[in-house]
Amino acid sequence: MIDDDLKRLARSAPPPLEDAKRKALEAALHAFDKSGPEKVKASAQGSPDDGRLTHVATSIWSGLMRQRYMAGTALATLMILPAAAYMTWQISQNHDGWQPKLLSPLEMGTNADRETAEKSAVPRIWQQREVEQVASEPVPQVAASPAAERSRNLDASVPQRSTGQPMGGVARQGLSGQITRQSFDDADKPYASPFGEIEWNRIESFESNGVKSVTENPVSTFSADVDTASYAMVRRALKQGVLPDPKTVRVEEMVNYFNYDYPAPDTAETPFRATVTVTPTPWNANTKLLHIGVKGYDLKPAARPHANVVLLVDVSGSMQEADKLPLLKSAFRLLIQELEPEDTVSIVTYAGDAGTVLEPTPVSDKAKILDALDELRPGGSTAGAAGIEEAYRLAEKGSVKDGINRVLLATDGDFNVGASDDDALKAMIEKKRESGVFLSIFGFGQGNYNDQLMQALAQNGNGVAAYIDTLSEAEKTLVQEASASLFPIASDVKFQIEFNPEVIAEYRQIGFETRALDREDFNNDSVDAGEIGSGHTVTAIYEITPVGSPAILNSDLRYGDAPQTSDSAYGDELAFLKIRAKVPGEAQSKLTEIPVLKDAEVSSFADAPEDVRFSIGVAAFGQKLRGIDQVDSFGFEAIEKIAADARGEDPFGYRSEFLQLVRLAMGLEQ
Amino acid sequence: MESKTRIEGPADQDLAERASIGDRDAFSMLVERHYAFIHRVAWKWCRDRSAAEDIAQNVCLRLGFAIRNWRNESAFKTWLYRITINAAHDHARFVAREMRKAQAMAVHAATLGEEIETYKPSHSDYVWDAVRTLPDKQRDAMLLVYGEELNHADAAAVMGCAESTVSYHLHTARKQLKSLLGKSGAEQ
Repeated sequence: MIDDDLKRLARSAPPPLEDAKRKALEAALHAFDKSGPEKVKASAQGSPDDGRLTHVATSIWSGLMRQRYMAGTALATLMILPAAAYMTWQISQNHDGWQPKLLSPLEMGTNADRETAEKSAVPRIWQQREVEQVASEPVPQVAASPAAERSRNLDASVPQRSTGQPMGGVARQGLSGQITRQSFDDADKPYASPFGEIEWNRIESFESNGVKSVTENPVSTFSADVDTASYAMVRRALKQGVLPDPKTVRVEEMVNYFNYDYPAPDTAETPFRATVTVTPTPWNANTKLLHIGVKGYDLKPAARPHANVVLLVDVSGSMQEADKLPLLKSAFRLLIQELEPEDTVSIVTYAGDAGTVLEPTPVSDKAKILDALDELRPGGSTAGAAGIEEAYRLAEKGSVKDGINRVLLATDGDFNVGASDDDALKAMIEKKRESGVFLSIFGFGQGNYNDQLMQALAQNGNGVAAYIDTLSEAEKTLVQEASASLFPIASDVKFQIEFNPEVIAEYRQIGFETRALDREDFNNDSVDAGEIGSGHTVTAIYEITPVGSPAILNSDLRYGDAPQTSDSAYGDELAFLKIRAKVPGEAQSKLTEIPVLKDAEVSSFADAPEDVRFSIGVAAFGQKLRGIDQVDSFGFEAIEKIAADARGEDPFGYRSEFLQLVRLAMGLEQ
Repeated sequence: MESKTRIEGPADQDLAERASIGDRDAFSMLVERHYAFIHRVAWKWCRDRSAAEDIAQNVCLRLGFAIRNWRNESAFKTWLYRITINAAHDHARFVAREMRKAQAMAVHAATLGEEIETYKPSHSDYVWDAVRTLPDKQRDAMLLVYGEELNHADAAAVMGCAESTVSYHLHTARKQLKSLLGKSGAEQ
């Protein structure tokens, strides 16, 4: 039966059109002529210079395509929907359409093919002739600007080569004539070149946690940070129609972006409470998930200490875009509404040189603060280090004893002038932390956001790093979570979990790769770790493989201890969780110990509490985006279902937004 | 490979040899002679009229450069298959990329959950729809053996792999197709 079906594959094609054939032959001969002289010269001079051949080819290509815009293919039928925006996209990213990849190695080809493609050499004389020819042509050609060159160097995987092809389309729209690269740069401002450019951000990539054997590594130690920047960056990428770079997705930041309603501690004396749930793994029938939900004590407003806040604002030239300084002003306005009249606010700017805009001012004089905020104008380049020093000076000047002294840094990117050695900055921030001034970082915009540095700085400064791309995000971070980000209830929070080898054979921590600690760091109070704010929740998830499960990856050792008899005193314990934290201002940490008993286990995933299920859905999504093997066969549809079922009340719509992101990713996945 | 007896004039290998050292007429004759072949293969790999024309034109363009490096190491037809199939893959990737962008844009712009039309080649049928879902290598093997009616050895030469690898790809593909066509085939 199938053989009959397959005969259909042999059906012959309709005969080619004469017109198409003629054009193709022209193209072939044109290319043949172009490739002519260089071969002879190449052997004489032999200066390999790849890239030029592509250029020769694309110049032919653009000539051909002048007569026929690429969208003339079947794709045109699709363009109805977002036609205008799509066009802008095409143009704004100086996208090249279907570019003949002459230099790409022929995949199936023999090595000979590949070598010839790579070795093709073009002599300088030939280059020159080519340039002249281009200059005399009326075809809009793109001169590679320094920026384009830079981007090519930065990331070879994002080809920014320019061909005449999209311009062909523009010319037909009446913008004919010489179109320079410059005018395209201007034209794409409002769209901010959605593709590729996100790659400019300096985002640290790291390897995912692997599966570990309990007998070899019974203990897992990590710092409880609640940064959320990764989620906002993933969201931004997806909304622009690209999947985020898998290596940069931090799963724990995505999970901890959401607020979960875990049981809270009753008094401020116990700063937080941990709830452990063990549930079947949705993506693997033979493993279980160990879910730790920690909720910090929610300080009542009356008990809040006074706050001394220094806003350190980047006003470099790049901040003038709508999603940067203007958004930042609106965001800080929201924050100021949240503060009490006795709290103080100062504002420091940095750009070229650092300057104090507002000396410490009580919030009771709100108008003065808001005026100062409004006065901020972009200009100059960034001297972040000097700005931080000035901000710390002001913070110390207005310091409130037993209160909150915090610098809030808002920036779109690098500290590119001054003592901007990353390590020196970190050291300075660490030193200031000792004096009781903490640092939180809010990232704005995209383009050159230095995620890695910001995360490191916030970690060293005992603060959060959040990424703000919309006003609603600002509302979430600065208003709803203001008390959490401003009022820590526990600092240097470290988790250590020890698995019981009698019950659990293997484990894998989901996320937290960049926050792992050495085992001995747990009891060392001088090792810095994350802090938990008032009302904050921290979620950590492990995928565990029970003893005897078919999912076990490591086989038994031949020369190990004999298998233990399972009648020891800890037979009903899965694991033992230890949490160390300091009450803010104290040097000595307190230890909390929680045995994870078998009765923490629920028999089916559906029986797990709503928040647990939702956070697992987010973890699955983050892992999917990271391309982690364990969730390979688990589809976006299944993630969507988990999240939809566990959406709950969702008063601010964050969880609905998450569902939207899952659907976007589903559409973007091949 | 296909019989060459019906072709009059010099053999492909000779023409290619001459073209590679700059004989323009030989090259022209070669492309002219094989345009129909290129177009046919392209068409079978995309099942769409205008896409086939685009691919064929791109192959011709590539040939203009590639012929200079002709080494007479494989049969000309085999070589031409490779270039054409690679061009077809590039084109498919391009279409997929554009689709993704259009789709993402649509999802972003429109309200949630709205289905948007997917790309439908002009000459598709249910078998092709199924074959199109296969991974590249399996699809190439299927199309070379069933579409182009090559034997496994020739298909292996085109794909640059061992004959047993082709058989393996076909086996896997057939299994997959059976389950796909089992459903839709019954309706036909």
